[in-house]
Amino acid sequence: MTSDHMHTQPVVHARDVTMTYGDIEVLHGVDLDIHRGEVFALLGPNGAGKTTTVEILEGFRRRSAGEVSVLGTDPELGDDAWRGRIGLVLQSWRDHRRWRVAELLTHFAMYYPDPRDPAELLALVGLTDQAGRQVERLSGGQRRRLDVALGIIGRPELLFLDEPTTGFDPEARHGFHVLVERLARDEGVTVLLTTHDLVEAERLADRIAMLVGGRIRACGTPAELARRAAAQAEVRWTADDGTSRRERTEDPSQLVWELHRDAHGPIPGLEVRRPTLEDTYLHMVNREADGADSDADKEAQAA
Amino acid sequence: MRKTPMTNGVRAGLQRGGIELRHLLRNGKEMSGHLTNVVVALLVAAYISDDVPGTRTPMSDLMLAGFAAYLLFQVGLINLPQMLVAEREEGALLRLRATPGGIPAYLVAKCVLIVVVAVGTVALLLAAGALLVDGPLPHGPGAWLTLLWVTTLGLLAVVPLGAAVGAVLPNPREALALVMLPTMVLLFISGTVFPITSLPVPVQQVAAVFPLKWMAQGLRSALLPDAARTAEAAGSWELPMVALVLAAWAVLGFLLAVPLLRRAARRESGSRLSERHRKAAQSGALAG
Repeated sequence: MTSDHMHTQPVVHARDVTMTYGDIEVLHGVDLDIHRGEVFALLGPNGAGKTTTVEILEGFRRRSAGEVSVLGTDPELGDDAWRGRIGLVLQSWRDHRRWRVAELLTHFAMYYPDPRDPAELLALVGLTDQAGRQVERLSGGQRRRLDVALGIIGRPELLFLDEPTTGFDPEARHGFHVLVERLARDEGVTVLLTTHDLVEAERLADRIAMLVGGRIRACGTPAELARRAAAQAEVRWTADDGTSRRERTEDPSQLVWELHRDAHGPIPGLEVRRPTLEDTYLHMVNREADGADSDADKEAQAA
Repeated sequence: MRKTPMTNGVRAGLQRGGIELRHLLRNGKEMSGHLTNVVVALLVAAYISDDVPGTRTPMSDLMLAGFAAYLLFQVGLINLPQMLVAEREEGALLRLRATPGGIPAYLVAKCVLIVVVAVGTVALLLAAGALLVDGPLPHGPGAWLTLLWVTTLGLLAVVPLGAAVGAVLPNPREALALVMLPTMVLLFISGTVFPITSLPVPVQQVAAVFPLKWMAQGLRSALLPDAARTAEAAGSWELPMVALVLAAWAVLGFLLAVPLLRRAARRESGSRLSERHRKAAQSGALAG
């Protein structure tokens, strides 16, 4: 494989993936491309098909139809060598409770051809002081960081993170974000993150896909997504008479310039609020909720 | 030479088995569970003073031999399924499935653990029995050889079967109830703790279908004097039949265990795991 080829071929490539359980179609044709070194967040409400999508990519679920390639291999045919190039961090893991932290990492290093050094890894995830502790005595945040350490011990090229910071306190969450950023930036690990946490997605992800009702409704950088749905920014300021004012505009810069010009000086209480990812997300989810007719329209147009 | 995942899996499995064994030895609760069995058997043996009817063999010897068989049976059909179900529930199985060579390593580790626990408890029972309550030990190399092959074949009969049971049982809470009851029934109808001939013939015939009766009979042939065979249902040890029935269960067990374990491992995924945790939390909430 040439390095050129490595760069052009996406790490995750999915086309028109559908999933049907009995009569219920959960995924209606999902397309995804995730590139090397990218942190990619998959957002969506419960029941939107996030878990199903990720499990298809992880090779734990057989898709009903469509084309999938993860690290150049169909996940349904993934062998041990392929597994060794993938790391997994699930939120529901409670295993190996009796093992000691360092003992567990050292053991799992055995399975990989070129593992990380367990001691360095403990330092990386901030568990050096807990090395001799039993896994069941770790706090929730420590346990998840151990899961991350186990997920990356084999130097995976692709790391799946399943709602990694659920139940974290703000400090643990921050520490976790720094770790994920470091993995992606310094080591070129591709990360696929599923989360409910929009702030987390915005902070970590290079690109975000919103999966709503079994389809990818939007995909792009956080800024692109935020612009797409609610194009109007909100400008707030305090007027001369002391009342607070607000105005929505597509060109906040123009409005602020006009305000400055009129005021001949600083403007008290000036605040420009760009549309957030949350605005976009809620817009997408709500559109889906009253959305059956818009689908019908599209289909009518196509026909 | 490059390590293949398979040989690496075996190496990792041996290490894993060793570590799990160390954890077991350090776990007071589980160890006392295994030791209680041995202690109860020794206490009962110390209180029984009659002979097996029609022989001059002490009843306590028959009981100790039967209990040794039951210990093997229990490790395979109670401890192993419980372990499998618990580890499936916690996500250990899923983690190993997501690890190259993880499933072979898991199976190797479980075999190491089961064999050491089974052989360890039986050895402890027989050694402590011989020292404390004048219990039986094999006389001569032939009897030791019988002890060895009956133990080996007995484990082969129950371990794959236990793995198959563990692969299909729903969750640890129900699992215990589901395997305990039939095991207890078999303990009492298989001639392990009193002579099988004192039971009605139809009950004896039912017991003869299952491996425990044959494991106990095989161990009696290794541990009791040859004259004691007059108390057996057939008037002899029927060793060929012991070998045949245990081998048949071993084959059946393997035929069931391989696809069922494969299916159990294949079905594991993050969402199934969370679903089970949710249910467990719910039933916990209802119970509390």
